[in-house]
Amino acid sequence: MNQGIVFKLNGQPVSYTGSAADRLLDVLRQTYRLTGVKCGCNEGECGACSVLIDGHLANSCMVAMGRVENCEVTTIEGYSQTERFQVLEQAYAAVSAVQCGYCIPGMILASECVLARHPHPSETEIRLGLSGNLCRCTGYNAIVKAIQIAAEKGEGLW
Amino acid sequence: MVNGFSPATLQEALEIRARHSVTPYAGGTDLMINPDPDAVYLFVNHIPEMKQIEQRGDQLHLGAACTYTQLLEHPLTPAILKAAIDLIAAPAIRNEGTIGGNIANGSAKADSVLIFFVADASLKLNSQSAERIIPIRDFYRERKQLDLRPDELITEIILPTKWLDHYYYKKVGARKALAISRVVFAGLLTWQDDVIAHCATAFGAVSGVVLRCPELDALLIGKTRSEAQAAKAGYLAAFGDMIAPIQGRVSAEYRKEVCLNLLTDFLTSNGI
Ligand SMILES: Cc1cc2nc3c(=O)[nH]c(=O)nc-3n(C[C@H](O)[C@H](O)[C@H](O)COP(=O)(O)OP(=O)(O)OC[C@H]3O[C@@H](n4cnc5c(N)ncnc54)[C@H](O)[C@@H]3O)c2cc1C
Ligand code: FES
Ligand code: FES
Repeated sequence: MNQGIVFKLNGQPVSYTGSAADRLLDVLRQTYRLTGVKCGCNEGECGACSVLIDGHLANSCMVAMGRVENCEVTTIEGYSQTERFQVLEQAYAAVSAVQCGYCIPGMILASECVLARHPHPSETEIRLGLSGNLCRCTGYNAIVKAIQIAAEKGEGLW
Repeated sequence: MVNGFSPATLQEALEIRARHSVTPYAGGTDLMINPDPDAVYLFVNHIPEMKQIEQRGDQLHLGAACTYTQLLEHPLTPAILKAAIDLIAAPAIRNEGTIGGNIANGSAKADSVLIFFVADASLKLNSQSAERIIPIRDFYRERKQLDLRPDELITEIILPTKWLDHYYYKKVGARKALAISRVVFAGLLTWQDDVIAHCATAFGAVSGVVLRCPELDALLIGKTRSEAQAAKAGYLAAFGDMIAPIQGRVSAEYRKEVCLNLLTDFLTSNGI
């Protein structure tokens, strides 16, 4: 029982030796110091803690560490090294889709999942894709617009 | 790993379940709301035998660890189940949450469970030494009282698909997507040669378990349209007596009224 939980974190193999019942969110922030992952509600409602597990969007507050064994976990820190991120970053900036920024790491990863699934998303597909990510500041329209711009500017990337 | 097991096969999982006191963990989307820091989890999310989707004759076999997203994207998933899943939470929860977890969590508000009730599905329960298949109705004794032994896992949901095409499904909640349903209703009705060949209804979130009364639905089976219209008032009244809504934030009377409105709308939409 004392072998660590082995997984890939932002591309690097790691082994977590704490409890399999620990929350991924807490471990990412406290053990690995990846503080781009935010805690908004701790109960799966807000999406501030979004990460990618094997490319799928997940709320890290709702994931126990044992679940990610042999998986690839990507946080905003890892994702921000990609070309896709550059496109999203510029698109979000272009329409001032970022206010306080608390929801944005999660929003960006949710945006990635929308575009990975629908490279030319309809507005409905965007809104459904973001439906688990709450933003207190921007009112969503700017974020939807940003994803539309990213889809256009990033043609061929997704 | 510390405080957990992550078996690669069903057999391994059942061995662990027999030898240790463990909590099955599928998607964690119910467990992690109030996590027990001392829990020892048996992670079933990677077990291939519990993720299969297979049609055998008139029955669809769904692995208990299938996630909602997996089911939404699968061509064999019946439209009525997709309709229910579409309104469950948001993508990140649907990516992790499973139907087995929805069933074993034991809530009468569970949305996929309602579909399994109206379809008269069965559950396959496995332990290291035995396998049993029981109707989903028998699995729920009362609220949070499940017919699940400490050495068992739910491995499959067996869904008879014959009557699923003509369905009615409505979820009445505070918010469309994220609300755990307040009142949910599902109905199946199939006409054959101008008589009702099949009628099944189920209500979620009105009592401790899903309400399914085949003996009342039988009042309509075998009836022509005009006979069914004549029987309608009696049918609705019988359900009115049956529905004793739980007291919650939404008043009991309101819930009951919504239920009967949904039932009426279901009949009307079928020309009755
Ligand atoms: C934000 C949010 C929104 C939600 N919205 C909805 C909604 O709209 N509708 C709805 O119905 N639910 C909703 N839920 C609840 C939850 O997502 C579902 O009930 C989900 O199906 C649970 O599945 P899971 O795999 O995550 O279960 P887990 O949390 O892994 O497990 C739940 C329970 O089942 C047991 N278990 C799991 N798998 C098995 C098995 N194979 N055999 C035996 N026991 C098992 C576990 O030990 C635990 O007791 C929501 C949850 C959140 C956090
Ligand atoms: S902190 Fe995880 S969803 Fe809100
Ligand atoms: S920018 Fe402030 S919460 Fe979204």
